[in-house]
Amino acid sequence: MRLRDRLHDLVLLCLCLGMGWWLWEGVAAIDDPEYIIGPAAYYLVNTAKETGAVNVVAAILFDYRGIDTLGEATVIYTTVCGVAMLFSKSKYKKSSAGLSFIARRGISFVVPFLFMYGSAIILMGHLSPGGGFQGGAVFATITILFCIVFGSSFEASRISPKTKETIESLGGLLFVFIGGVGLLAGAGFLANTAAGFPRGQVGNFLSAGTIPLLNVAVGMKVGAGLSTIFYSMVKVLDLEFNEQLTEVMDNDKN
Amino acid sequence: MIKISYATAIFVFCVGLYTILSKRNLFKTVIGLTIMEAGALMLIVTAGYVHGGVPPLIPIEGQAVNPLPHAFTLTAIVIGASDVALALALVIKVHRRYGTVDLDKIRGLKE
Repeated sequence: MRLRDRLHDLVLLCLCLGMGWWLWEGVAAIDDPEYIIGPAAYYLVNTAKETGAVNVVAAILFDYRGIDTLGEATVIYTTVCGVAMLFSKSKYKKSSAGLSFIARRGISFVVPFLFMYGSAIILMGHLSPGGGFQGGAVFATITILFCIVFGSSFEASRISPKTKETIESLGGLLFVFIGGVGLLAGAGFLANTAAGFPRGQVGNFLSAGTIPLLNVAVGMKVGAGLSTIFYSMVKVLDLEFNEQLTEVMDNDKN
Repeated sequence: MIKISYATAIFVFCVGLYTILSKRNLFKTVIGLTIMEAGALMLIVTAGYVHGGVPPLIPIEGQAVNPLPHAFTLTAIVIGASDVALALALVIKVHRRYGTVDLDKIRGLKE
């Protein structure tokens, strides 16, 4: 049996090495390109003129390909719905006790700075690398830290799951609403400067039309969505841990 | 230099593939999925590199790198996080139903 397993692993290793060799054959012919062709060259030249954003990646995500980003936000929403549905039956009883006093004090000292960091990443998304997705992930990290350090019931009492769901839905609605404004102006769904949004001075904080607003919407959606996913999972794990603990204690008594 | 980056991406992808194919533990399969995803993302980002390129922020001095793969990678990271979350949720459900995450034991094939 053991020999068969080892042979199985060897065959799989050869398969993976062959796959790697095959991919390498495809890549080895590529040289360093000296210039860019295709739509990316157009974006690089025209972003400042057409959208007023400094960060070209943000301009692509929220202006040129805004409807892609809306679809992607829908993926997060679907995942949150799926995870919440899978764990809907489990009633929440107790949470873990959390970490020590020193960890609690340390985290309460760090969290305001984390909050500021996340807000800066979201609000400066059109000026520097960053944006709604990254800043939303930082906000989700804050709630995850609360869950781990203080225990998940404390986190749920401070930021209830319903509040998170409301924030997430508001983010999605804000995104669609901004897209609808472009439609009403007769310039198409998610139109930016073409729909009359002010472009502003390139490099200013208030510039780039809809891009900062869409960043805020996506930040709300991603932050609330990821923290809901984590909370739905960790409450189940806490529950199972507590059940096992009571089982062990019962066995000890017997 | 760009070849080393491509080779790293392919190596990481193959490590993930081997993990998925050889491990019987469902949690390890999900870990292999994330490793494979990391390899694919590295390949996409590397494909956007231009020789001597600078970051695509607007006062561009010289030739900027291709910003399109960066945008696609952001999209792919979020979708990857979502599908890993869903996969882990399903694994937790399987563990609650069968009491194990070993594929052989779940199928009842183990002697």
